[in-house]
Amino acid sequence: MPVKTEAAPYLDAFRANAAEPSWLRAARGAALEKFGERGFPSRREEAWRFTSLRPLLNMQFPPIATKGEGRATKSGYALTEGTHRLVFANGVLQSQIGDLPKGVWLASAARTLAEKPELIRGALNDTDLAGGQPFASLNAALFADGFVLALEPGVTLDRPIEIIHIADTVDAASIHLRNLITLAAGSRATVVESYFGEGSYWTNTVTTVSVGDGAALTQIKLQDESRAAIHFGTARVTLAASARYRNFGLALGASLSRQDVQVLLGDGADVEVAGAFLQRGEQDTTNAIVIDHAAPNGTTRELFKGVLDERAHAAFLGRIAVREGAQKTDAKQTSRTLLLSDRAAIDTKPELEIFADDVKCAHGATVGDLDKETLFFLRARGIGLDEARHMLIEAFVLEAIEMVEQPELREHLAGHIRRWLAREAA
Amino acid sequence: MLEIDNLHASVEGGREILKGVTLHVKAGEVHAIMGPNGSGKSTLAGILAGRDGYVITAGSVTYDGRDLLALAPEDRARAGLFLAFQYPVEIPGVNNMYFLRMALNALRRARGEPDLDAGQFLKSVRAKLKTLEIEDDLLQRGVNVGFSGGEKKRNEIFQMAMLEPRLAILDETDSGLDIDALRIVANGINKLRTPERAVIMITHYQRLLDYVAPDFVHVLSEGRIVRSGDKSLAIELEKSGYVGVGA
Repeated sequence: MPVKTEAAPYLDAFRANAAEPSWLRAARGAALEKFGERGFPSRREEAWRFTSLRPLLNMQFPPIATKGEGRATKSGYALTEGTHRLVFANGVLQSQIGDLPKGVWLASAARTLAEKPELIRGALNDTDLAGGQPFASLNAALFADGFVLALEPGVTLDRPIEIIHIADTVDAASIHLRNLITLAAGSRATVVESYFGEGSYWTNTVTTVSVGDGAALTQIKLQDESRAAIHFGTARVTLAASARYRNFGLALGASLSRQDVQVLLGDGADVEVAGAFLQRGEQDTTNAIVIDHAAPNGTTRELFKGVLDERAHAAFLGRIAVREGAQKTDAKQTSRTLLLSDRAAIDTKPELEIFADDVKCAHGATVGDLDKETLFFLRARGIGLDEARHMLIEAFVLEAIEMVEQPELREHLAGHIRRWLAREAA
Repeated sequence: MLEIDNLHASVEGGREILKGVTLHVKAGEVHAIMGPNGSGKSTLAGILAGRDGYVITAGSVTYDGRDLLALAPEDRARAGLFLAFQYPVEIPGVNNMYFLRMALNALRRARGEPDLDAGQFLKSVRAKLKTLEIEDDLLQRGVNVGFSGGEKKRNEIFQMAMLEPRLAILDETDSGLDIDALRIVANGINKLRTPERAVIMITHYQRLLDYVAPDFVHVLSEGRIVRSGDKSLAIELEKSGYVGVGA
């Protein structure tokens, strides 16, 4: 098969590590071949219709070769409360992980491969090898590291797992991370990922998630990458019966970013996916959420709040599928966006595909500006225009954070939103 | 304190609403402006507080000798002007107490006073709450979110009590209030009556004036003040209606 032009540099960069097990080398090779044949997704594909890949086509991003410094604690991205923290610099684990409770495996992908290779095998699924999602295939071929969290049945992690990614590049480079979260029946965990850095780089992260019977996972992601960076994140989530899954993403950084969340629900599974994106300049961000009610009695709540200023663009693609037999599904999707400038724009595309008759499904989308009379009210009480605008934007966005249960995490995220607003004033 | 002279104003791109309003208000005075629907009462209140959407075509408004109309709404508030809204807005996600502390501190900063900390603020709030019979839990909600009509109006008066303006403009604060709420609101207004302050009450009905005795009553009709007098004018209006007094 011929290789697509844009894929060629990535194929050239591929060096299979001879020390890796043969199954992994074979999987990487297969994924790479598929990526080579397909190349980047085209805007003719529905899922990529609203995402311009120009920044990725204008520049080549070979896999990163330089070490980063990893200055997380200084920068306000690390949580102050005690967490189990992993710091990655340019995609390589920097820190030692302290003592972990019994029944918890938390390690880099590299170490996991050496000690528990069957877990990594689980993180590379058939989709990557079939080439259904080109960037996930590329990730499977090129990933150097990532994190693996595995909880044994009934284990509750009280402290959040905190994964910090710092990128620091001079020459354009890509960082491919492959992560795995598996929660056995009845276990509970919260994972907070933060991404930030300096320079032109492309973060391409793929996380495979599996939540067992009655287990509960909260995944929080703060994307505040360099304004010259590209960030793609994909989470593929499988929920067993009565599992609970919360996903919240805050997108502030990157010139181009995209978050794909794909959730497959078991019987009675409960899902909340929420997100907030605040973008300005020429930033472009996409949230593509696919919720698949494959079994009955599942619940889905989706809430996305966007704030777009200047010439920023965003897309929200929200597909909810209710398969035949998935009765008593209760799904609701809401997307609300504030356009602070005439030149900012959002494309929203809700899609409901319902093949069961006893279900509740609803979606709603609004796009607007700050309410004039409300601004006047605040100003008439002495609050300055900028401050009044910030109060209203913050209040608007914070609704999406309410699903985060831990107050200290909510405050951490709110702090970053306020920082974003303050940058505007500067 | 406030001098409105020959004020003409139109809705942006629309018809003329105020057609030469002249009104002078001195410190210590309470003025009532009455008039039928559509006479321009709320337009006048909005223009004084700085609401967008109006064009001043002639006349002037000075406040303490300054050109009021040149000031941004927040600067008018910081100079001591307060508008109690006819339709107070709901602001989901902005906590009432937080909002009020931001407002109070904005005014204090403008006067060169230090910010009140949370403790000092709370103390001040507690004292005023009692007099206005406002439930504590209302303040923990978003601004006016889930408030009844009467609670919203009482919240306006509560804000006024906290911000202690020098010139308060009350835009139909009495409408939609039952008799108990009216008494509470009137009590709040009377507390603000001092020789240094002034109040302009815009109202449709005479009944608020039973509780807050005005020094002057003006009848606004078709964008002009057609009659001015003392309290007895309000009583005359009650008897013979606006048509009876030439409005």
